Order: sequence, then structure tokens, then C-alpha cells
Amino acid sequence: MEKLYNERLERYVTAMQNKKPDKVPIRPFVAEFVAKYAGYTCQEVTHNADKAFAAVRKCAKDFDWDAVVGNMVYVWTGMTEAASLKYYRVPGIDLSPDEAFQYVEPANEAEAHMRADEYDQLIDDPTGFLANVWLPRVSRDLSKDEEACNYRSNLAWLKGGIAMMKYFQGFGVQADLLKKESGTVGAIAGALKAPCDILADKLRGYRQLSADMFRRPEKVVAACEALRPHMMYNAIASADPTKTVPISVWLHRGCAPFMSYQAYEKFYWPTLKQIILDLWSIGYQVLFYAEGNWDQNLKYTAELPDRCIIYHVDRGDIFEVHKQVGHKFCLSGGIPNDLLTYGSPDDVRSLCKKIIDAVAKDGGYIMDAGAIIQQDAKTENVKAMTEFTREYGVY
Amino acid sequence: MPEEKIVKKPGVCIPWEEKIKEYQKITGDENILKQVWEDIDNLAYVYIWFCLIAA
Repeated sequence: MEKLYNERLERYVTAMQNKKPDKVPIRPFVAEFVAKYAGYTCQEVTHNADKAFAAVRKCAKDFDWDAVVGNMVYVWTGMTEAASLKYYRVPGIDLSPDEAFQYVEPANEAEAHMRADEYDQLIDDPTGFLANVWLPRVSRDLSKDEEACNYRSNLAWLKGGIAMMKYFQGFGVQADLLKKESGTVGAIAGALKAPCDILADKLRGYRQLSADMFRRPEKVVAACEALRPHMMYNAIASADPTKTVPISVWLHRGCAPFMSYQAYEKFYWPTLKQIILDLWSIGYQVLFYAEGNWDQNLKYTAELPDRCIIYHVDRGDIFEVHKQVGHKFCLSGGIPNDLLTYGSPDDVRSLCKKIIDAVAKDGGYIMDAGAIIQQDAKTENVKAMTEFTREYGVY
Repeated sequence: MPEEKIVKKPGVCIPWEEKIKEYQKITGDENILKQVWEDIDNLAYVYIWFCLIAA
């Protein structure tokens, strides 16, 4: 099994260096798909991290994948319920047990987790703001500044923190088991978000941030800059200490139609670029997981040094991306998720062939779907993607 | 003269420079106190930011 692991690791790392390995690596970001395959409901894998880990390992044993994420159902609702976080719709509570969890973004100023007049508080002391204002505001149990501390509040802090520690330990055990049981590589380590996405997703909401870009642009710029060193710190804190596998940055609203390139240039890109450059300067690659269609941003992405990112294609045109930046970066993705859900195995094989022929011919390509693979993907299509790539994608 | 504000760096919730003011006297090795305080304080920092970034 160690030999298999080492072969897969070599394959994966070689491709990420934009070189030609022995075969096209397969690294599907399987999320709730693993639940369906392993016979669990979405509720089970979302609420019970041990079942999520077990489901991933079952898939890793049955599919010839080179690398996977230890658990791609990225929210453990056991922990978020312990901390009483309000912003999720949870399968088995708010949703049917067979639906994936949902994040509920603030829809208006009244619901915003950070108010418009609180930018200076965030900028002045980001950690203090999160602990004193943001977390109490997004939790049902954590007492707000003006309230007396109480039993539920104390326990919510305690349980949330302990749950996080348990979860982190679980990932370590999972990586080891994946290696020993199926010779599968842990695909990524370390989490990063663009400061502007943090403002949109978790603090102001996308609508409010869009208005802020016009009404208080200097605050948005300053807030992104205040968040930048903390994003950097947290990315490194959970990264692979050997720097072999990349840190992943999950990119949300930097693309059309959410953001014009002018707004991207002013608000989104500067701090994201600096973080990527700073990480590269100390030896870390970043998986640039660009959700949606980021083709209009390619002129900015192309500013980055060669090999500093693995560029992931979701709804963009992978063939065009390859033409523009394939000489600089390894690419991954390009198989549309709706093809895995609604297409046939022949459709999947046909597209895999096109991509391998055009994009992977000189190496520097990793097979994956455009977005995380959820419970709606047909098993026979995921099998077809895997088996075809393994058979045809040989150099 | 107003007290100089201690700026929190990434990784820190309550800086050691702030905590040490609570002790009347350190009779032993301050470095042990500092190191362990900062290690555990860092866990709280990671939790707070984990909630923002990934939870």
C-alpha cells in the first residue's frame, strides 16, 4: 500500500508542478456524494464526522483516485449546533435528511452580521470584533455584550472550541487511514478565503457589500487589508508542514456576474494576490478553487508567478483557460457537475477524452469536476470519469 | 499619559504583555508562563477564526 501511496503522491505532485507525470491524476472533491455511495443520508455525514470520514474511506477504497479531501462536507453541523450558529439550514432539522446543508447569507442590512457602521471596529481589532460582536450575533446562545453571561453561553463557547479540536484531530487520523487503507493522498491542507469573500459571505452579506463598494469604498479596502494578515496566518496554521500539498482558497464572488473587473481590481484582487505571493515566497502552493466562471479575471491571475497556484476550473472554458495560462499553472476540473448528474457515462467519457487530449497532453492537469460533487451525481458517471481517465490518461 | 494600546497580532487573543500586568509578581520562570499562555491563547484564536473561515 505504501508503494501505491508513493506512486499516487508522485503523480499528484508532478502534475501540480505543471509537469508530466506517469498518468493524469484523479482528485475528485467528493462531498455528499460519499454519503450516497456509502449508504448514509446527508444528515449522517453532515452531523456525524466519524461517518463522513468512514464514507470517504469507503469511496477511496473502491475508486482508483489518487487524492481526496479527508472530508469535503466542509461544515460539521455537530460543531455548529454545539456553538449554536444560526446561519445554517441543517439536514434533519431544517431540511430533509437527504439534502445537503445550506448557508443562509444576510439578505439585508437588518440581518447583516456586521453593520455598516462597524467597519472601524473590525479594522481596529479583527479578532476582538469577531469574539465580542460577530460570534455572539451569529449564535443563538452566546451572550451579547450587554447581556449577563449565562450557562448556555459559557457552554456554547466551551463546546464549540472542544468540538473543533476533536474535528482537527479526526482529520489527522483520517489522513493516516487513507494512506494505510487505500494508499490515497490527502489532497489539500489549510483553508483560505479571499478577504473580500469573508466580508460578503460572513459579515456584510453580498448585497450589503455591493452597496458598501459605492457608499464607503475606503472602508471596504481597509477591511480587506485588516483581514489579510489573519487569512495568511490561519492558512499556514492548518497547512501541510512539508508543503507538499497545497493550501486551498475557495473563491466565491470575485467573478462575473457578481463583480465587475473594476471592482475586482480595486477591492478583491489586491489582498488575495498579496496573500498568494506571500505564501509562495515561503514555499506554499495554493489551489485557486475558482467557483463559477473566472475567465474574465484571467489577466489578473496571469500576473502570478509560474506554478504558485493550481488553477481550478468550474464553469469557465477550460480549453480557453489552458490556452491563456496553461503554460504557467497546473489546471484541474472542467467536468461540469450537471453532466455528472444528468448526463450518461458515454457523455462523461467523451468530455474526459476532449479535456485529456487538449489540456492534459503536456501534463499539468488533474481530473476533477468543476465543483464539489454532491449527492445528486450519478455513481456510474463518477465511475466513468475515474475509469476512463485511468485507462486513457496515460503518458 | 494614556496607556499605550497593545496591538493584537494574528494568532493572539489576549497578548502576554496585557496578561502579565495582572500578576503582582513573577517568582519563577516568566518564559514558561508566557509560552504556555500563548499556546493556549492561540487555540482560542484559531477557534474564533475557524468559525469565520470554515464553519
